[in-house]
Parts: sequence; structure tokens; C-alpha cells
Amino acid sequence: MTRVAVTGLGPVSSIGTGAEAFAAALLAGASGISQIQSFDSSGFPHRNGGEVRDFDPARWLRRLDPQRWGRSSQFAAAAARLAADDAGLDLDSLDRGRAHAVLGTTSGESVVAEALTAQILASGFPGMVPELIEQLPAGRLAHAVSEELGLHGESLTLATACSASNYAIGYAYDLLVTGEADVVFAGGADSVCRWAHAGFFKLGALTETACAPFDRDRSGILTGEGGAVLVMETFEHAQRRNARIYAEVLGYGINCDAKHPVAPDRESISQCMRIAHRSADIKPEEVDYICAHGTGTPANDLTEARAVIEVFGDNPPPMSSIKSMIGHTMGAASGFGAIASAIAIDRGFLPPTINWQNADPELSGVDPIPNVARRATVRVVQNNGFAFGGNNAIVMLGAVR
Amino acid sequence: MSTLFISGFASISSAGMRAGALAERVSSGQAHPGVPVGSLYEAELPAADGHALTDFDVKTHLGRKGTSFYDRATALAVVACGEALANAHIEIDEETRPRIGIALGTTLGSFKSTSDFSMETLVQPKPYLVNPVLFPNTVMNCAAGQAAIRYGLRGANATITGGPMAFLNALRYAGNAINRGYADTMLVGAVEEFTPHRAWMTALSGKVPHPAGEAVAVFAVSTVRMAPVAEVLAIANGYGPGGQGSEALAGCVQRVLRKAHASAGDIRLHAITREAESGALAGTKIFRAAQHFGDCGAATGAIALASVLELHEAEPARDGELTLLTASTDDGAVGAAIIRGWSRGGADRG
Repeated sequence: MTRVAVTGLGPVSSIGTGAEAFAAALLAGASGISQIQSFDSSGFPHRNGGEVRDFDPARWLRRLDPQRWGRSSQFAAAAARLAADDAGLDLDSLDRGRAHAVLGTTSGESVVAEALTAQILASGFPGMVPELIEQLPAGRLAHAVSEELGLHGESLTLATACSASNYAIGYAYDLLVTGEADVVFAGGADSVCRWAHAGFFKLGALTETACAPFDRDRSGILTGEGGAVLVMETFEHAQRRNARIYAEVLGYGINCDAKHPVAPDRESISQCMRIAHRSADIKPEEVDYICAHGTGTPANDLTEARAVIEVFGDNPPPMSSIKSMIGHTMGAASGFGAIASAIAIDRGFLPPTINWQNADPELSGVDPIPNVARRATVRVVQNNGFAFGGNNAIVMLGAVR
Repeated sequence: MSTLFISGFASISSAGMRAGALAERVSSGQAHPGVPVGSLYEAELPAADGHALTDFDVKTHLGRKGTSFYDRATALAVVACGEALANAHIEIDEETRPRIGIALGTTLGSFKSTSDFSMETLVQPKPYLVNPVLFPNTVMNCAAGQAAIRYGLRGANATITGGPMAFLNALRYAGNAINRGYADTMLVGAVEEFTPHRAWMTALSGKVPHPAGEAVAVFAVSTVRMAPVAEVLAIANGYGPGGQGSEALAGCVQRVLRKAHASAGDIRLHAITREAESGALAGTKIFRAAQHFGDCGAATGAIALASVLELHEAEPARDGELTLLTASTDDGAVGAAIIRGWSRGGADRG
């Protein structure tokens, strides 16, 4: 059976760009939250978000012309370039037809969509600018990666909302184990936008200042953004070029609640965990750390914790949410989770849940790794991703044995 | 990779939703000018005629319950998924439920839903005075999620983007899901709605020779050979960076011919999504779905395959013939698939 290695990490996030900066921020429990500037947030009662303030695509991109691509595509391509460099990949030596790009997203080119909407408001439908229309299709997120790195393999953007990166990593895993690929660039990207901020606020799911997953008084998410791409390759390919291997992708599970468009379902999530464990051929007691979906809404965290206890028993492994640091980066979220999981395995620490103050009696048994990172030997990680539409996806990563 | 069979399908397009409607329209051989679409929306449209199913009403098919907040793309997709399940005689029970999934192709979901929601943040007295019930419609996986809810399908559920490539992307994704054992049956399809947004974007892009159309086609795919109407012999998708789309497509066509153990001369029909693909298999009769149904974006490949399968149904003499489906995007994404089609029962008559 072909084994799948993670050999490069490319986070473009509000707490750091590049593997080194991102790992240091996770270890420090940094916060990337600030008052939103990319749109006029003054009319909103809640104004905080996780914007990548210093993102300068020209600094990272070598082939892609940022003018022709929307912000989410720029995030994707920059993250992929960073991941390729981190992996020490010589792109010229790749069999480019066996190198693929698989990205996940919730809202695609949301900033472009809002710019077009503003044009419709200002001057009617005929006022939409063709150059922007060209940038709108969500499929361009993966194409940006294929263009930037010169990849000839599949260029696929999966739009399964907030678990989309895990879907992408899962499909990448399949491309590698079925012999279709040597290397896959997999992850996700999304951009902060006004409509999602408004939607979550009106749903009562947007917190005011700080996201506090698993806290008794948690009150919701903060919208975030960024690009998260991992280089995944076969062990054979990685070993032939003496690559550093952060972690192994052990398998994954996906299923669908088929019940409610937005409310998570405990039974279905438990089932997804069991599917993932079976795929990875591991038992619950082998899991050392759960990188939680942990949005910080009362409903998600309760449902997720109960599903974990149902599968793992009363003493589940430690479970933290990096959304406390970077906000909910939507389609990139489980990509950042996978990067954090690989770093946890490689560097031997568990990222904390910051902003945590009070234990929630409803979540007894849950160890959220409050506020301070913890040194630990991490052999197996479960990276959770759940989504609107009931699209659950869980990726299992492990230390190389 | 084990062979994939299509055991049933359904479509909705400007030709209607009755089985055989596609074949009737295509058989005329003439490009279809569309129908008056002005009554669909208050907004001015770029042309009086377009390719929409103007009398489509989701309530007629699914009732009022649970459907009132569907957008047009969601309504089309959910109805077509139900029709495809029925056409393929798929039984849904507690045992099969977790093993039936959906792979649905799109360009970016319903841009109308997203843009209308975003518009509210601009025009309301306060930017947060949006209707939260409509928020899930702004997310691209709305249609596939609602179809899963409607029919209780708990298997792998994926929303696959790609514009004109979306259907081949979805077919490829679904084939993998089945072959890897994540699902036994996948509903594979693609949807695109007719809205002022799409009509105008299509007209303004200046790149599409046909007016905007709407369509959905959904196919029931599995490895079980039960009275199939088609067999997916091969599929290959790729990308040609730096403007090398044509070279990349030629490579995909060679790969599917090799995988299908076919030669170029075995292909009877070549269905294309964009004119740039017409040279990918010289000498083969070209089928342009957009001439008959308008530019159906993500649904172009799906409605093309549904048309071809209806032609098989109408003419058993075509049993066993091979069709090459190709697709591509402006950026350089490309794909090809080879399908063997039969009339109903034709696969078993030998």
C-alpha cells in the first residue's frame, strides 16, 4: 500500500506566513484578530475578524500576475508556492502531469463577488466589468496554484464549505494511493467578506471581540481568511529526494448529515470519526490530539464534544481549536488545522485554545489545552472539519513510524 | 479502477424535463434560438430570448414544505436528483442511505443568491439586516446539501466547481469515491441556473458565442451492471498552464483512448463545451450542446451526456457506440471521458 507523506507546509495566515512563523505563533498562542479593514465594518455591532493584513501577493508569487486573480486565488497560489519552497521541491524535476492541485473553499472569490455586486448597485447589470467577471469562478483557486507552479495534473476546487480543505486533502490522498500522482498540492483558501460577516452576525453566531471555543461563555465565531496548502507526496517520491517528512496522512472519512442546512448533527459526526479511524486503521485510544473544528459557537462545540465523548469515552484526548487564534477561515479552516496537526507531530507540542477562561460543565471531560501550548509526544492526530450542508470531513495524520 | 455504469439519469433544461425532450431538440440539427424570458425577472435582461425553463416551479414537483427558500439552482438540482433516483430504480433504506452520495458540479453555486445577499448589506439601513434563512444559499454546497436532506442520502457529498469542467470533475470525483469504497452509488451531475446575473455575465464576457442557458442533469453511477444505459470507459482531467490548454487536452484525449482500448476511429460523436475543443479529435462528428440549450456553464457537459443517452434511447441502432466528452475552461483546465451508450435494455441484448 502506497503511503502518503506531508513534506511541505504553506500557511498564509493572520498569525504568520510560512511554516516557521505559523509554528512559532501556534506555540506562543498568538492572536491574529483585529478590527476588520477590508470592508467598512463601522455599521456592524461586531467588527473583529482575522484578516491577513500584511498579505502582499507579489512578494510570494513568481509566475502569477496578481492583477488577473482574485484575493482567494492569490492566497491559494502564495500558500502553494510557500509549501513548495518549504518542501524543497525542485519543480523542474517533477513529472508535471503527475503533480496536481486540489483546493477547498467556502465562498471562492467572495471579494470579487462583492465588487461585482457593488457595480450592479451603482450602474445596473450592464455595469459589471468583464475583467472582474473573469475572476469570479471558484475553480480558479486551484488553477492559480497550477499556473503558479506549472502543474499539468488535475486542477480541482472543491466547494464543500467549511470542511472543504479536508475534502481536498482526502482527494489528494486518494490520487496518491491510487497511483495517479507523485505530488499533490492540497488545502484551501477564503477571504473575509461583508456578506459572511453579516450572515453569521444575523444567525447570532458572530462573537463580539474574541473567539473562545469550549469556554462556558463562548458566543460564536469571528470570520477569518487566508490560504493553507500542504505538499503531499508518496513516501517513495519523498524518500527518493531525501525530503523531510512532517507527518503521514493515514486516511480520512467523509459523510453527510442529510438533516439540516446549518445545524451540526452529533450522531453523524461520531459516524464520520469512526469512518476516519477505519480508513486510517487506528483505534480511538491511539489518537493523541484532536485538532477540533471548534468554531466557538455554543452549538458546534457542544455537538463536537459530545460526538468525541461518544467515540472516545469519558477521557478523550486533548482537543484544541486554532480558530481561537485565527478566527474561522472557512474553506481554509481544516487546511490550517492539518498544517497545525503536522506541526504538532513534527515539533512535539499541542497548540492551545486561547481566550479560554471558564470550564463549561456541559463539556466535562474535554481538555481544550487552555491558553498555553503543551509539550507532548504526538503520534496520531485527528483533524476535524464540519460544514453547512452537513458536509463532514475528518483527516487522520500520524508520525512516521 | 473498476468500470462505472450509469443506471439511470434525469435532466431539466429549456427543452423541458420530460424524458426524450433533449433528443427531440437535438435531432432537429438546428440551433435553438431560445424562448421569451422577460417574464422570469423584473430586471432587464440582455436579450428578450434565452434558454430557461420558464414554467419550472419547484412546488409542483416537491410541494411547499422545505422548498420555500430554495434558490433556482438548488430547486433544479434537488428535483433532478429525485428524478434520477427514480429513473435508476434506486431504493433508499437504512442500509443503503450511508452508501449513496452526491457529486454535484457548479461554477460558484447561485451567484444570484450570493449577490442578492451581499446587496442587502449595501442597501439596508444597517449592513447586518439580512435574512439569515437565506444565508446557506450563499454557500456553494447548498444544492448538494439540500438534495441530501430531501432524499436522506448520507454518503460522500461533494460540491465540485469548474465551470465548463465541472461535470467531468464531478464524474472523476465520484468515480474515485466509488472505487475507494466511500460510496456504492453516486448521483453525479451539474447544475446552472438562468438569472439576470448569469445572463448579463455571459453577454458581457464577450467570450461565449451563445446566450446563457440553464440546465441540470444527474446520473446514477455505480459499479453494478444492472440494465445500464451507459458505461464510463475512461476519464482523464488535467491542466495546461501558460496557455497550453490545447496541448493538455490532446494529452487527455490520448489517455482516455488508451485506457478505453479504443482508437480515434471508434469514436462516433465528440461532445464539446467550448469551440477550442473541436480540433481535439479530427474527423469526428462534433456535438455542441450550447447550440441547443444555450451556454449552460457548469451543466454543459452534463446536458451533453444526457442528450447523447437520450439519442441512444431513441435509436437502439446506436447501441454500444462510443462518445468522447471533452471540456475546458478559459484558464487551461481540460478533461476528456469516453462513454459507451445503450438504449434501455440494449446492454443486455448483446
